[in-house]
Amino acid sequence: MSLFNPTPWVDFGLPLTSGLNKYYLVAVVALIVAAAFWYFTTRKAKVVPGRGQSMAELLVTFIRDQVTRTTMGKKGDKYLPLMVTLFLFIFSMNVMGLIPGLQLPVTSNLAFPAVLALFIFVLWNVVGIREHGAAAHFKARLVPGGVPGWILPVVVPIEALSNFIIRPATHMIRLFATMFAGHLLLALFAAAGFYMFNPTSPMGPLFGAISVGYSGIALIGFLVFTAFELFIMAVQAYVFILLSSIYLGEAMEGAH
Amino acid sequence: MSRSSAKKDETSSNANATTLISYLLGGLAFWGGVGWVVDWALGFSGLFLPIGLGVGLVGSIYLIYAQYVRS
Repeated sequence: MSLFNPTPWVDFGLPLTSGLNKYYLVAVVALIVAAAFWYFTTRKAKVVPGRGQSMAELLVTFIRDQVTRTTMGKKGDKYLPLMVTLFLFIFSMNVMGLIPGLQLPVTSNLAFPAVLALFIFVLWNVVGIREHGAAAHFKARLVPGGVPGWILPVVVPIEALSNFIIRPATHMIRLFATMFAGHLLLALFAAAGFYMFNPTSPMGPLFGAISVGYSGIALIGFLVFTAFELFIMAVQAYVFILLSSIYLGEAMEGAH
Repeated sequence: MSRSSAKKDETSSNANATTLISYLLGGLAFWGGVGWVVDWALGFSGLFLPIGLGVGLVGSIYLIYAQYVRS
């Protein structure tokens, strides 16, 4: 339990709050890392970019070409800074799970992805209302096009539940669950490697040797999954902004 | 590359796995929920719940078909 529920340093004693705990510290570190990345890569921006600046430009053009342009077209360039920032912030929050000493992905606490998903959900409504007006936005989201009138009573509640509750919920749970499970898996392998290492087993030297073998396998698994987890962390940050852009693009487009 | 992907996006469908799953879940949850409430209100046990689940499933599959397959 203490893996995902660190003891709070400052507990306000309020119901349903966790107090100030390790998550807040790690979130602040992630924020500083993300901000420092932009500070150090862009502070001496030149026309012919240096190594750091090329890295930053590569990230921006990648997100522009693969995320915002493919889901929202040229109009989506307006949201490019938001998506780049979100990507880097989420990625650095995820990566905190692999930094020795911190070792806690901030997004493995449901509250953090929930706030990000809620923000995108509010923005989705704001963009839709600003582009098409409140009535047209909600009509496009509630009444599916090309459906005969008699079937609407069946499908309108489905659309409402799907668009306004399940979609933001899945948006948040996807990031949370992958980070939670990934961190749990790493912790499991590390713990197995530690507790199985028992060369002076009371059951004899053979069992001692077997335990060392199992411990080695668990530690190799730990290393392999650490590399794999790094990949998952980047993919999940990418998926989060990809879905955000798909939703925003849909709000800009209006009715199907 | 950016030009070709910008062109592609005008024709690409915005159907994605999340939307489809949220339709399926929404259909099952809403109409299954209505069926369950009707069961509870009228004192049946497990009559309207399966009917509701069926209606929800058919409704959400129809919705996916109408929006993403037919168009």
